[in-house]
Amino acid sequence: MSARRSFRRWITARKIIQITTLLIVIALLIMTRRGGWPPDVVNLIMRLDPLAVLAQAISSRSFLLGSTAVLLTVLLTVIAGRAWCGWLCPLGTVLDLIPLRKRTLRDKQPNVPHSWRSIKYGLLILILVAALFGNLTLLIFDPLTIFIRTFTIALWPATDQVVTSIETAMYRVPFLSDPISSIDAWLRPTILPSQPEYYRDAWLFGAVFIGIIALNLIAPRFWCRYLCPLGGLLGWISRGALLRREVSEECKGCTLCTTVCPTGTIEANKRYASDPAECTMCLECLDVCPRSTIEFQPRLKLSPRQAYDPSRRQFLGAAAFAIGGVALFRADAVRQHADDHLIRPPGVIEDAMLDKCIRCGECVRSCPTHGLQPAFNQAGLEGLWTPVLIPRLGYCAYSCNSCGQVCPVQAIPSLSLADKRTQVIGKAYIDQNRCIAWADQRDCIVCEEMCPLPEKAVYLEKRDFMQSDKSTVTVQVPHVDRNKCIGCGICEFKCPVNGNAAIRVYVPGTQAAF
Amino acid sequence: MTTPIDRRRFLRGAAAGLGAVTLNQFLTACSASETRTPPPTSAVQPAQPTSIPVTASQPAAPLATQVPSPVQPTATPATSPDLVVARSGEPEAMVRRAIAALGGMERFVPRDANVIVKPNICVAYHTYEYAATTNPWVVGALVKLCLEAGARSVRVMDNPFGGSAEEAYEVSGIAEQVKAAGGEMVVMSRMKFMPTDIPHAVMLTQAAIYDDILKADVVIDVPIAKDHSLARLTLGMKNLMGVVREREVIHNRMGQNLADLAGYIRPKLTVIDAVRMLMANGPTGGDLNDVKEMNTIVASPDIVAADSYAATLFGRQPEDLTYITAGVAAGLGRSDLNNLRIEEINVGA
Repeated sequence: MSARRSFRRWITARKIIQITTLLIVIALLIMTRRGGWPPDVVNLIMRLDPLAVLAQAISSRSFLLGSTAVLLTVLLTVIAGRAWCGWLCPLGTVLDLIPLRKRTLRDKQPNVPHSWRSIKYGLLILILVAALFGNLTLLIFDPLTIFIRTFTIALWPATDQVVTSIETAMYRVPFLSDPISSIDAWLRPTILPSQPEYYRDAWLFGAVFIGIIALNLIAPRFWCRYLCPLGGLLGWISRGALLRREVSEECKGCTLCTTVCPTGTIEANKRYASDPAECTMCLECLDVCPRSTIEFQPRLKLSPRQAYDPSRRQFLGAAAFAIGGVALFRADAVRQHADDHLIRPPGVIEDAMLDKCIRCGECVRSCPTHGLQPAFNQAGLEGLWTPVLIPRLGYCAYSCNSCGQVCPVQAIPSLSLADKRTQVIGKAYIDQNRCIAWADQRDCIVCEEMCPLPEKAVYLEKRDFMQSDKSTVTVQVPHVDRNKCIGCGICEFKCPVNGNAAIRVYVPGTQAAF
Repeated sequence: MTTPIDRRRFLRGAAAGLGAVTLNQFLTACSASETRTPPPTSAVQPAQPTSIPVTASQPAAPLATQVPSPVQPTATPATSPDLVVARSGEPEAMVRRAIAALGGMERFVPRDANVIVKPNICVAYHTYEYAATTNPWVVGALVKLCLEAGARSVRVMDNPFGGSAEEAYEVSGIAEQVKAAGGEMVVMSRMKFMPTDIPHAVMLTQAAIYDDILKADVVIDVPIAKDHSLARLTLGMKNLMGVVREREVIHNRMGQNLADLAGYIRPKLTVIDAVRMLMANGPTGGDLNDVKEMNTIVASPDIVAADSYAATLFGRQPEDLTYITAGVAAGLGRSDLNNLRIEEINVGA
């Protein structure tokens, strides 16, 4: 059969599916907000992620019913190998859309040793062994958590900033103000937030993402080939996948397929065979082959071991490294004394948080005040990018229980609004040296006004202050009723003092016997 | 194969981006340097001799030559009362009777007017029963009356400080009643807070005020009467704080700031919802034991008079509230309740 068959249509179909999936994921993330789409719909993304589900199940020793959705991904992989990576993964699609390297037919595959492919397996082993010891820190390298985190913390706030500045500029042009006003009313709060979103180190999250894209300069889909731990897991499953790429005897070795393969797994010196654990089923090789010698056929056999598959020694080394790492995390001083400002979302138990949280950032995205932020050092390196409330940036709204609803793994318990309102997440303390009433001896009362409790936890006392000229002024000074305060942090958020607030929320609780 | 992006396209994109940023900077600079010409047209009304307050009768004061005569926003026809109090009826019935007694909504809302009704929807925490937010039926009745008077559009908005606006609109029940009445609930947009010079202000000489409020033909102020630890009571003048962006700054010398703001915005009508009053733990509320059922509506074109009367519902004197004394001093209205023509209506009877 010498007639060349075209697979353009298949490739077009793949591209359409890729873009559609990317748009769906973005739509789900946009609608991950209070008043958006139902929490069980928007968090489906993470429940489809086999790496997050597996690691979380190992780490928390429990399997959540909602996570059965992951079987869809597993089934897909058992049939069609890493089709997830080539057809669905939003990060993979972004990497395809921004190739950075011109791919021409004369282009040689990059000069990266094949052995680098084992990095992803190393990362995978680290994640799974650490999970065995109740640690999930390295799930920060899961591609879906990377995508969601980047979108939430860097991409969307930045988009909002750009749109806002354009809108604000155009609104001030007289004849444009009405149309802009209508556009704005349509855009917010449905799609863009009505208040600007601020995240600590937003640039860092953006930079990591740009870094991952920039690796495309070295090789197309560098991330997917060498680093992605989810790709590693799906690769392992793919070794027994049903659909296999076969090259017939009619192949004359023109090497075209090796140049178009985005993962560079087709090797001339192996008779143009490929590793199913690396192939993303993109079908580019099918289309480019001038003699149509390539087919994908159902086969029931394990693919051969590759040189870059981890050896037993490498496996044990990675496992030992994981155990050592977890042990060092546990020896960190934060385990003895929590950070002052480790304010967790309502209902969270610290240890349960660490062995359940998959770092997906859905809670951060859903927090309407954007007070919920990825922790940097409050919970030590082990708690990197777990959610923590930064009251100065946003408070825990008395009318909201979103974070627990949207959490796909119940690291934040799902509470009714009534229950959530009774959760003590911190305690407010007044810094009398900086408070406008106490130190400047002027009326302010903002903290008392803002306190959302039916019986306010901030109460006021009329107090006389002697002035430098011996006269006295009477000022209403605030106090916090420690028994009532739930630590929602609206007082800290709204405190008019510049810099750190004069009323701050600290981690709750006292040592035993106090 | 085509290259995904060539140099020319890159440069074009970059130029467009830089252009947008520059344009923004330029326009921001322009808008900062130009002072808005005050006051909004809706606020200026020809002075009526009957309603000139005390301060305006002193022509020697240098201010008086510059100030557009500090009159009541809408001049009182000789036959109408200065203030109406409606009692013991359904909220909508009380509003309707009160406005009718003032001479009907047509007196305040011209045909085809663009009206903004400003209730108090301060938080998204509780339903209206807790009296932290204005009674939904009171707001709904005002929307209906405006539309019946021939208003072109009636928009309802506030800028809550606890929870999101959309949620506060829903939880308060106001969104439902406003939509049913044919009005429009609008979430305030942050691009529309315009840095505005307030002429003749004593304290608040500059504030970022919501553009739609400034452009509206008619602003109707419909606060709920409730407790507040600094203002003592949140009433009509305090309710206007919601149209300013950095409202925390108003807390310092609140009385004068509120008078300056009210003098600039000048709502044509103030309707105070005292159907359910929040007596303590305001402005947020949350405890039904703090709520007192008063079943009263106070309506007046004079915001100071309305606030003064509402203060008495809490057993306070108008002079107890710093913003009322500042408002009287600024010539915004009257607090001498004994000299006002007050019509009391018992709707239930």
